[in-house]
Amino acid sequence: MMSVRNFPKRMILPSLFLAALIIIPFAAPLITADDPVKIAVRYRLAAPDLEHWLGRDEFGRDRLARVLYGGQVSLTVAFVATTIACIIGTLFGLVGAYFRGPSEFVTSRLSDIVLCFPPILLALLVVTLFGPGSVTLVAVLSVLYFPTFARITFSEALRVTSLDFVEASRALGTPSYRIVLGTVLPNIAGPLSVQYSLTAAAAITIESGLSFLGLGVVPPAPSWGQMIRGARQFMNQDPLGIMIPCAALVLTIYAINFFCDRLRDTLDPKGTSGSSMDEVSKPKSRANAPTIKDPDVVAVINNLRLETAHFGTPAVIEDVSLTLRANQCTALVGESGSGKSLSSLALMGLLPGAIRQVGGTLQLRRKSDEVVDLGFLDARRLEDIRGNDIAMIFQEPMTSLNPIHKISDQMIEAITAHRPMSKSDARAHAIALLKRVGMNDAERRIDSYPDQMSGGMRQRVMIGMALSCEPRLLIADEPTTALDVTIQAEIIELLQTLRQDQGNGLSLLFISHNLGVVADIADRVAVMYSGLIVEEGPAAQILRDPHHPYTRALIESMPSSHEELNSARGDRLPAISGTPPLPSARPSGCTFRDRCPIALPACAHIRPALYPSADGERAVRCLRAPEAPAGVMNHQTEAA
Amino acid sequence: MTAAPLLDVRNLKKSYSIGRSGLFSKRSLKVLHDVSFSVAPGEVLGLVGESGSGKSTIGRAILRLIESQSDVMRFDGQDLNSISPVRMRSLRKQMQIIFQDPYASLDPRKTIRAVLSEALDAHGLHKGAARVPRLIELVTLVGLDPSFLDRRPHEFSGGQRQRIGIARALAVEPSFIVCDEAVSALDVSIQAQVLNLLADLRAKTGVSLMFISHDLSVVRYISDRVMVLYLGRVMEVGPADQVHFSPKHPYTAALVSAEPSLHRENRRIRLTGEIPSPLVLPSGCIFRSRCPYAQPACAETVPPLQTVGDQHQSACLRTDIL
Repeated sequence: MMSVRNFPKRMILPSLFLAALIIIPFAAPLITADDPVKIAVRYRLAAPDLEHWLGRDEFGRDRLARVLYGGQVSLTVAFVATTIACIIGTLFGLVGAYFRGPSEFVTSRLSDIVLCFPPILLALLVVTLFGPGSVTLVAVLSVLYFPTFARITFSEALRVTSLDFVEASRALGTPSYRIVLGTVLPNIAGPLSVQYSLTAAAAITIESGLSFLGLGVVPPAPSWGQMIRGARQFMNQDPLGIMIPCAALVLTIYAINFFCDRLRDTLDPKGTSGSSMDEVSKPKSRANAPTIKDPDVVAVINNLRLETAHFGTPAVIEDVSLTLRANQCTALVGESGSGKSLSSLALMGLLPGAIRQVGGTLQLRRKSDEVVDLGFLDARRLEDIRGNDIAMIFQEPMTSLNPIHKISDQMIEAITAHRPMSKSDARAHAIALLKRVGMNDAERRIDSYPDQMSGGMRQRVMIGMALSCEPRLLIADEPTTALDVTIQAEIIELLQTLRQDQGNGLSLLFISHNLGVVADIADRVAVMYSGLIVEEGPAAQILRDPHHPYTRALIESMPSSHEELNSARGDRLPAISGTPPLPSARPSGCTFRDRCPIALPACAHIRPALYPSADGERAVRCLRAPEAPAGVMNHQTEAA
Repeated sequence: MTAAPLLDVRNLKKSYSIGRSGLFSKRSLKVLHDVSFSVAPGEVLGLVGESGSGKSTIGRAILRLIESQSDVMRFDGQDLNSISPVRMRSLRKQMQIIFQDPYASLDPRKTIRAVLSEALDAHGLHKGAARVPRLIELVTLVGLDPSFLDRRPHEFSGGQRQRIGIARALAVEPSFIVCDEAVSALDVSIQAQVLNLLADLRAKTGVSLMFISHDLSVVRYISDRVMVLYLGRVMEVGPADQVHFSPKHPYTAALVSAEPSLHRENRRIRLTGEIPSPLVLPSGCIFRSRCPYAQPACAETVPPLQTVGDQHQSACLRTDIL
């Protein structure tokens, strides 16, 4: 599956460790010349010496030989049994999940029955009936473990089967067996291989347990369980005897689990960056003391610059400055990857650990009129501000609401987190909020669960919760993208009314890719492209008369901008060619120049600044815009 | 519409059983109620509706990816209701689907070469030496570079993945493609590229499309005719421009008016109440619970589709209002 060249580094150590533990027992004849079953009563319980490194056991047999040869038996039984269980279980699971119907019934019921028995009891029963021995052990362990594999395969295959690419294979007419083996199986290999390692470890333990009880490997053949059983009687005189097989067991199981852990991380495409994700990053240096002079301004983002934690990587956000005023809705517009969501997360102090703020300030005027710089607050003060001074609503309300708690409980929790209030007062407040966000029959519906509500109602609940502490700033990150158009229109209207009603002058930061929605709600618009604000100003001006070629192209590529165009007549939409650049592949000069229809040679040399218009109302980052200072192009081209 | 339709569907029904209400009676959830339509060769039929309208179910039912019941379901002269599984598999060469989610619709473990080869292998097309030129032709057709063939999906952007999905559908040279929200997950600038690509392909290959989307202006741009669905019933069907600019059904009018637009004045028609649960549908016209023009008569009969113009039909009793 994986070539040697791209063998992941993190797997090297556990793989070597595991391989050593498997190979060493099978290399026993090379390590020791002693016979594991040769009795020499004269030397019973002899202490270790140069010839017998680990001493001798109660029958005078060489312990090193016994632990190595015993390992052969224990490992063989465990791995053979696990392999058989894995193959049978996977087949059952795949057939059950892909073909459903009767085969699903057989798979799930059969495994249910086997899972009903406590494993060790079932093993005892079978061994008692068929007599002890390695073959019986393998059979018992396979029967014991195949249901686990069937279960995992079944649920994973069910998940994969419902994905579009399997549906696409079916639509292509690919035969079923090829879909199951060629598409479904490789996609569930990750969890299966982890389960394989876990089961092998468990099988080793059970094998030892059964041998210890005298039901596994028949004496005098060595096995780790046998060794523990023998040494148990002499535990006081000779503790080494019991420690050796135990150490072998512990080491093997640790090696397998270590391997599993790393394997799971390696196979999980998302699990690469590990645990650093939860840390909230902090900027490197302290900027000037925060000041917002204008009492109308709620928050100011000034020259925000964000970089990924990896050394030498370019900025994800190069330069974002925004002023958010009370009673105003500012829309942050851009395509995916433009950095609009990151800018808002920075305001919430919720940047992912991989991203660091390396420059700029994020100032907020709190409800108490105190001005703070969000970049320099500790986690506790940020918690106090989040939900209290700044609230946020997201695209998919279902993921932000806890499905197992009633709406009432979640709202009461949100309210009492920032306001000392009795539970019944908080409930009354919650009902009042729900009424404000337009929920009919709020007294009754507050006690329903999130999944009993429609998407539009859930978004209303989220808005109600966000408003519970009367924040100064509400950040709405694509709040209507997941909703139907009629519901979207209602939510937009609701946000509009709330903004006008909110006594303390709510400032709304509305993040969206949909210019139509933005036109409906925003007072000011900031257009982002590739980590920069490229155009900013009053919504009506920007949308009617865009000065940046990117803004213009965005508007023109919307089908709703061209009500006269019709593809059946062969009309084509004016599309922007190419795709937005990744942060690491931004062109020199203007980041949009590759895709820009009006780019000049000078655009490759000069990274334009945000040039303000004469009246100061709007600004645009383009050399060819009317705002660009005369001569900037000639002057700097010569310099370059 | 003089030519024989490529696809003809009469009274398509689909219901899911959702547990039992009594010991013997199964409760069922009807998601499609007697939906009838046809698609002419080379025609683009747009399907619009909100979530729960059954528009995606229709696409999957035609491709026989889910079971459904219908009085007539004919594709290219063949009866899909009585077709044998073997014949159906070879018929799949002619009908394809493009999915909404460019991330879920490609197997993360397969290279683009493997994805496209699977399509060709399934029907034994372009074997041996003819394979590579065909693969190159396909990726070039959707505007990608042939050097991309040996890359895996995670190396591509959403728009590029969607192009790969389109190339996969085109690989078997189908005469009919269901585009299930094929541009909805894409950024505006990429959406325009993909829409242009689909329009070009249609002009070049004469393929028929069933274009499913919740975005009315996208559907209007790409479609010849548009069918508006609400809770599994057809509300209105007609030429794209007519349905969009002079809707005859109050639901269509409300949908069009709710659509955010840069250029139109906000003249939204307010709908009252929420979309009813499909388990307890209103009697008569299912839209009446939210309709601003509903009358007592609307509760009594299910309004039939009536002709209101050239090729234009609407299922509303109140022909006097719009």
